[in-house]
Amino acid sequence: MSERLDKHILKNGMVVLGEPMESVSSAAFVFMLPCGAARIPDGCCGAGAVIADWIFRGAGDKNSRELGDALDGLGLHRISSVGSSHITIGAALESGNLAQALDLYADIILKSRLQEEQFELARQLAIDEVKALDDDPRQKVMLKLQEQFYPSPLGRSSLGEIAELKALTAERTKQIVKDKFNLTETIFAVAGKYDFDAIVKQIENLFETNQQKQLKPVRPGSKADKYTHFHNEGAQVHIGLMTETVKPTDEDYYNARVAVSVLSGGMSARLFTEVREKRGLCYAIKAQYHSLKEAAGIMCYAGTTPEKSQETLDVIIREFNRLSEGINKEEIERAKVGLKSVLVLQSESSSSRAGGIGGDYYMLGRVRGLDEIKNRIEQTTIDSVLGFLRSSRFKDFTIVTIGPNKLAIDY
Amino acid sequence: MEFKKKKLANDLVVIGEINKSAKSAAVGFFVKTGSRDERIEINGVSHFLEHMIFKGTERLSAFEVNEAFDKTGAQFNAFTSEENTVFYAAVLPEYLAEVSRLWIELMRPALRAEDFDIEKNVIKEEIAMYKDLPSYYVMERCKSLHFDNHPCGHSVLGSEESIGNLTSEQMRGYFVNRYSPNNMILAFAGNFNWEQVCSVAEKGCNKWQKQDVHRKLEGCNGSKKRQRLEKSNLVREHICLMSPSVCAQDPMRFAASLLAVIVGDDVGSRFFWELVDKALAEAATMQFGAMDGTGTFCSYIHCSSENVSKVLETVRGIFDSLSENGITEDELQKAKNKILSALVIKNELPMGRLTDVGFNWIYLNQYRRIEDDINSIRAVTVDDVNSIIEQFNPGNFTQLSIGPVQTN
Repeated sequence: MSERLDKHILKNGMVVLGEPMESVSSAAFVFMLPCGAARIPDGCCGAGAVIADWIFRGAGDKNSRELGDALDGLGLHRISSVGSSHITIGAALESGNLAQALDLYADIILKSRLQEEQFELARQLAIDEVKALDDDPRQKVMLKLQEQFYPSPLGRSSLGEIAELKALTAERTKQIVKDKFNLTETIFAVAGKYDFDAIVKQIENLFETNQQKQLKPVRPGSKADKYTHFHNEGAQVHIGLMTETVKPTDEDYYNARVAVSVLSGGMSARLFTEVREKRGLCYAIKAQYHSLKEAAGIMCYAGTTPEKSQETLDVIIREFNRLSEGINKEEIERAKVGLKSVLVLQSESSSSRAGGIGGDYYMLGRVRGLDEIKNRIEQTTIDSVLGFLRSSRFKDFTIVTIGPNKLAIDY
Repeated sequence: MEFKKKKLANDLVVIGEINKSAKSAAVGFFVKTGSRDERIEINGVSHFLEHMIFKGTERLSAFEVNEAFDKTGAQFNAFTSEENTVFYAAVLPEYLAEVSRLWIELMRPALRAEDFDIEKNVIKEEIAMYKDLPSYYVMERCKSLHFDNHPCGHSVLGSEESIGNLTSEQMRGYFVNRYSPNNMILAFAGNFNWEQVCSVAEKGCNKWQKQDVHRKLEGCNGSKKRQRLEKSNLVREHICLMSPSVCAQDPMRFAASLLAVIVGDDVGSRFFWELVDKALAEAATMQFGAMDGTGTFCSYIHCSSENVSKVLETVRGIFDSLSENGITEDELQKAKNKILSALVIKNELPMGRLTDVGFNWIYLNQYRRIEDDINSIRAVTVDDVNSIIEQFNPGNFTQLSIGPVQTN
């Protein structure tokens, strides 16, 4: 595995990153635009989702249909997401089409037509997506959980709020694009098969400006309630639970990752064993590490029928709390092997690497090599993980449920 | 890439495609069994059995199995469809032999009654979970309406009732016949040593007894029935349309998959421009499902209740225009580009390659290189796609929708 990282910074501050992969003929790229849900002005919740659609509805010399046809003509598979900090757009494609794709994406970012009649359609779709969320309680519970767990506006729903979407105008949204598509804080990342010199030249031609302008950082406010229940006469109670842990910049980060892996890394991990294997309470049960730049948590989902829902939640909380009581040698070894293996398997996919290096750079200001991460995981021990767990015990659990019945919360 | 094949004395076929430059390797058992092979009174047994495989053997408890997998860092799981049950693991090359030995051992499970009883609860939870996923539920119900009495209409999960009544003895009987070495294959892909995995396979599988095992193959034109179900907790209308298509063995399958991309890819398709781009529906997709001896085109759309008539009218217009005018050369070229790049990207991962190599053997008894599939896709003509439209008339479909209770 090559451990090479390509990096170049434009005069305007835009970062260009690349990770070459020897055995692939594809390439994947992402543009991380600092226009995520938390950075959108108050009262415009959901504007990110509208923008991520609207900018594709015509750009440069192409109308919506011509642009869509041009992208399809390159056979590219679009990557598009709205996160807390960024709107990420990009694609995975055969590397021979990379240069043409970058030209089109430069138009989408810098010269989108942003026409009023197209705005109405993009906004209508965004409103419909929020409504449709009620039919997908599993996704809804995790969105509501993040909204409630992270101090406002960090966990704000990327889909938006219906009332605010309805009040949004084309003019206002255009202004948000102008303010937030800030090249100084934009990260471009490519992975797979590419020629970095050619990419840098092309990105410079397309995106270089002399102007540097920093965005104001997001100021986190207060946290919401501890427990919220949404009534729904569905077949299951969907439980989302989250508790605070350290960020990727913290020296205990790898201890936290190993602890989460002991809890829910594989099928022999504690949650799966105690909740599903021993008691048959759930089909779906999973906890994972989740982080933003400003805060991080351990996030857990379980879906279970109403009569088993209270026991499910009680067992989950017990397992979280039991973690600091002790971890055996086999458990920690499995947790470490699991984390390292996921790392290597993901490193074979150009899309996952492009997203990975861009994310690392935003979070840490640098990209970690595979060997560095492996070594840090390797260095964790039972003592280091337990030491971390005992010094920062799980105190508060933020809980959201959707289903026919409410749960008793006394943690 | 180098292809290898070996047939053991009991007719178990072991195949592998070696890619020395890969960083991982993948292994899988492909068992030719699923809900279409079940009698209706034991409906759901294939999927339940897939869960029970993880519950261990005479030597290993369920926990020991999970522990053994996790020790290797494997990304492992299994899935069951109407006609296949697949067990797979992606792993670093140095762990491949160990994980393969484990899968081989698990293919002769203990099926203990106490594990069976606990797992029955998990299966019932899974059934409940899918009831809360209308996108899945509507397709499952539409499939059953489309296939009518054809066994491909059987539910993969089974019902609360069929699972409730199922006994471990019934499962054992089903297992002995369906998990026969001549009804399954063992496949490898990625970076591995062929001699080593072959010796692991021979040692572990040579005692398996061959059975007389069959599947009834009958074509199905679909019922073309229409039905709407109501659920009080839904807010959107979920619509599934199903019509027949070519089977997995048919060389025209490439033309059928291109037609599905032209009509219903999630972006840039006819559905996209007419329904999603115009904000009539949040999602509208069509997929080609190739099966053993039969096939389907399946569309899924969700939209507001107010837009249903307009959406269905638009869909009618799209299918009518296809029947009258066929597709264009430009559409075909774009669809080819999309499918070809998806094929290349998927096959860069040993796990992606494993599924293609495995299913090609299951359906065609044949090894196909990625280049073979690329060439087949490139060779499809506008006339090929138009002949699929003419032969199967995808506008003449079975329709099932689920939505909120209508007050008027």
